[in-house]
Amino acid sequence: MTLEVDHSPRVETPLLQFVEVAKTFADGTRALAGVTFAVPRAQFCVLLGPSGSGKSTLLRCVNGLVEPDRGTVRFDGLRLERRSLPSIRRRVAMVHQHFNLVERLPVGTNILTGALARVPAWRAYLHWFPRELRDKACALALRVGLEPHHLRRRVSELSGGQQQRVGIARAFLCDPDLLLADEPVASLDPATARDILELLREAARERATTVLCSLHQPELAHRFADRVLGLRSGRIVFDGPPERLDEAALARIYGDGLAAARLELAA
Amino acid sequence: MTAVHPARSAPGTVRLDPPYDWRAALLVLVAGFLLLLSGQRVQLDRFVALSGEAILAQLGFVEGSQVGRGLGRMVQSLFPVAVEERREVTRIADLDRDKLPAFARIERIETTRFELDRTTMALVPIVESKEYLVEPFGYLFRVFGKMVETIEIALWATILSVLLSAPIAVLAAANYTPHRALYYAARGLVSFLRAIPELVSALFLVLAFGFGPIAGILALGLHAAGFLGKFYAEDIEAADKKPQEALRALGASKLRVLRSAVLPQVAPAYVAYTLYILDRNVRMATVVGLVGAGGIGQELKGRYDLFEYDHVGTILVVIFATVFLLDQISARLRARLL
Ligand SMILES: Nc1ncnc2c1ncn2[C@@H]1O[C@H](COP(=O)(O)OP(=O)(O)O)[C@@H](O)[C@H]1O
Ligand SMILES: [Mg+2]
Repeated sequence: MTLEVDHSPRVETPLLQFVEVAKTFADGTRALAGVTFAVPRAQFCVLLGPSGSGKSTLLRCVNGLVEPDRGTVRFDGLRLERRSLPSIRRRVAMVHQHFNLVERLPVGTNILTGALARVPAWRAYLHWFPRELRDKACALALRVGLEPHHLRRRVSELSGGQQQRVGIARAFLCDPDLLLADEPVASLDPATARDILELLREAARERATTVLCSLHQPELAHRFADRVLGLRSGRIVFDGPPERLDEAALARIYGDGLAAARLELAA
Repeated sequence: MTAVHPARSAPGTVRLDPPYDWRAALLVLVAGFLLLLSGQRVQLDRFVALSGEAILAQLGFVEGSQVGRGLGRMVQSLFPVAVEERREVTRIADLDRDKLPAFARIERIETTRFELDRTTMALVPIVESKEYLVEPFGYLFRVFGKMVETIEIALWATILSVLLSAPIAVLAAANYTPHRALYYAARGLVSFLRAIPELVSALFLVLAFGFGPIAGILALGLHAAGFLGKFYAEDIEAADKKPQEALRALGASKLRVLRSAVLPQVAPAYVAYTLYILDRNVRMATVVGLVGAGGIGQELKGRYDLFEYDHVGTILVVIFATVFLLDQISARLRARLL
């Protein structure tokens, strides 16, 4: 793995690169213990690992919500640091486990907040978004499976699955190059979870968006991933296509929890 | 002290202690004793004796009471309240007798006065006649006018406090302040503003700006800014972090996150605080008027000093009606906005 700036043409640089990234929290918890991997463009890459294995921390290192204390993160060849963070954040969107929507705002406005960093200040403060953006938000809302009458409703009046659809629409509003999804379906029932992941994968495919999505159920990883990264105690212990996710691999990822994982795989 | 959580006594056994122990009982005893001491210092014993006497008098067991007599005198002098305005015609500068104000009339009142004639040493009746301009609802209208002025003072004081406290609240919220030093400065300012009672600052502001509404607006507005600044800031700090993080991750600046993720969350509480401040300002505006800071309080103080208690009665009735009405309005407003 080379550490120099990569000057080769854009298509050949992986979109995202982690080199020996480590993070220990102030209370001494080691969440990442030196993680190295690269994600090429347009890949649907699933981060699989038990709860507490460091998936959220890894994803949050990409958009600067967590600052690694060792190693480098490169986005499109650009090293992530304080200076480059604003421009990187505009190209990276995130879908959250708990949706993280503004519950008292209507669905439409929530989708439009995805463009908050891209409109002039007066528009941002008055929530007076330009016509093209509003039209795009409407089209996206329909694309993610919301009904037109949902647009004016408060988010708090929607079901969990519908709220996550809003979260996905917000993430896609500004056509991100990379979509981070942190257990996007962990708060949803299994049928809704499959629908939402299906939507996420299709929407990403239409736009050739790269996705890095964390999951804790091998069954879902198996079904939706182009590639699986297995994480355990802050280390990558598996890297390969989902077909290679056999019992030995699951044992490496889940350890003692293997029995539970197997049950889920059978389900 | 209170151990509701499981405590381990012997290895392997877990027990639940009762929620209080002897220390809590001791604390209650000590607090009760201190309250008794303090009650004596503020003459609560006298209060109990006097009100007991008044109740016994009401029930007919004893003959009259100090409190009963005092209250009776007060009620008698306040009621009936003054409604008309009566002015001596000779004291009105340019009165046009053909164009009196609406509903007004001129009354001639003759008074007979006896004077001692020095030569005959007899009392001689002297008839004097005075003319009065009587406006039947004149005083009521005057009080209404003063009440409107009071409400205007309260309204502007509220606007001033909101405008002042909004930026202070951002500086005084630990998670949005641009700098630690500004945070402490804003916290200090907020406590300082809240610590000065309106009546005291009004006294000084009247010296600076003269009698009238300016002093009232400033006194009320500054005090309320201290109150709102503290409460606005605490709500910003307590707002749900998840949507803020989501918008931050999308690259939105701090102020934009504040606007889009925090403001919608805190807005209902802000409306409630601000309505409370408006309500409080209307009541306090009448009080600061007592020291000359405009509005109905100024009128009240004037009449009170002239012993015109029937006029004081009118003012009190109008204040009560206004506060009651505003309460109803703000309850409706709250229900609609929240
Ligand atoms: N802000 C934090 N402070 C301290 N410890 C944290 C913090 N965030 C996460 N951790 C710890 O880091 C480890 C990894 O957490 P996380 O990345 O959330 O795992 P996952 O998303 O896979 O469940 C856990 O042990 C967790 O308790
Ligand atoms: Mg997590």
